Amino acid sequence: MVMTMTTTAPASAFTAAAFRRGFLGALPFIASNGIAGIAMGVAYRGLGLDFIPAVLFSLVVYSATAQAVTLGLWALPLPIGAMVAACIAINARYLVMGAHLRQLFPDVSRRVMLPVLFFLADASWLMTTAEAERGRRDAGYLLGASLPMAIGWIGGTAFGHALPLKPHGPLAVAAAFLPLAFVAALLPTQWRGRRSLLPWGVSAAVAIAVASAVGQGWAVLVGGVAGTLVSAMGGDDG
Amino acid sequence: MTAEWQIFAAVFAVGAASYAMRTAGFLAADALPQDGLWPRFLRLAPGNLFVAFAAAGIFEGGWVSLVGCLGAAATMRATQREWAALGTGFALVALAAIVDALMRARL
Repeated sequence: MVMTMTTTAPASAFTAAAFRRGFLGALPFIASNGIAGIAMGVAYRGLGLDFIPAVLFSLVVYSATAQAVTLGLWALPLPIGAMVAACIAINARYLVMGAHLRQLFPDVSRRVMLPVLFFLADASWLMTTAEAERGRRDAGYLLGASLPMAIGWIGGTAFGHALPLKPHGPLAVAAAFLPLAFVAALLPTQWRGRRSLLPWGVSAAVAIAVASAVGQGWAVLVGGVAGTLVSAMGGDDG
Repeated sequence: MTAEWQIFAAVFAVGAASYAMRTAGFLAADALPQDGLWPRFLRLAPGNLFVAFAAAGIFEGGWVSLVGCLGAAATMRATQREWAALGTGFALVALAAIVDALMRARL
């Protein structure tokens, strides 16, 4: 992820016009997030989750990666501590995005921004950053761009869960694979060329070693942290 | 705690963590270091965590999961469309599961 942090910001605002502009610009995400949400809904159904908890997951957590990892850790009794730790680690990037948004919108009150940040997504942050670089700093744009993404994701999850599908045999295997597919699909977006080879190799090797010793939950955290340390210590500037 | 309550507890605990991560950077922007190891660590963490997740998942799911992951990642790289990557991964895993079942039946 490459970003430019500016320290001198002109006055920022929250306007209806920017909200409308952001909403219209992000409308295609209703379809793309909707399809991904359907896949998540099918996966929740395959897991045996009822409709309400399935939709609540997408509404309350609202993070495809955190939800996919949570699904990957699913076992009764639920390892809630490991799920929370994994969510924090996976969503650590939001700390950087949030700090950047504070620089973009220093004049918008917390009372306005905190509810807006509930809907923050990678794509809406990128769109808002691009909009700001064009000289239009407006938190209304962030909310407008975020809403279609949330509508697609949450609506898609509900629709996917409600579909009259009862996967059996190979389709059941494929449905169980969906959380892993989410993460695999994101890998190319994180690839940083040859710089990624060593840390990713370390992440994978440590994760497999830990998975074979103590299970998948800790494998993700321990492997991911080991690889990240190798990246960061190796001078990768992110 | 019943399974149902565990599920709701998981939803709200993970949800609270997710919202906390979305707001913490904004609230603590002035206190967070702008350069050095910490912001680099935050930016680099997701990719490495995704790799660890994929590796552990493939370790558990075997070659069927490997085929699905490679297909999903290759499709994402080629199309930049998440839905296309998910569809490809799903289809490949379904096909690989059929092949796997046939191979096991012959043994």
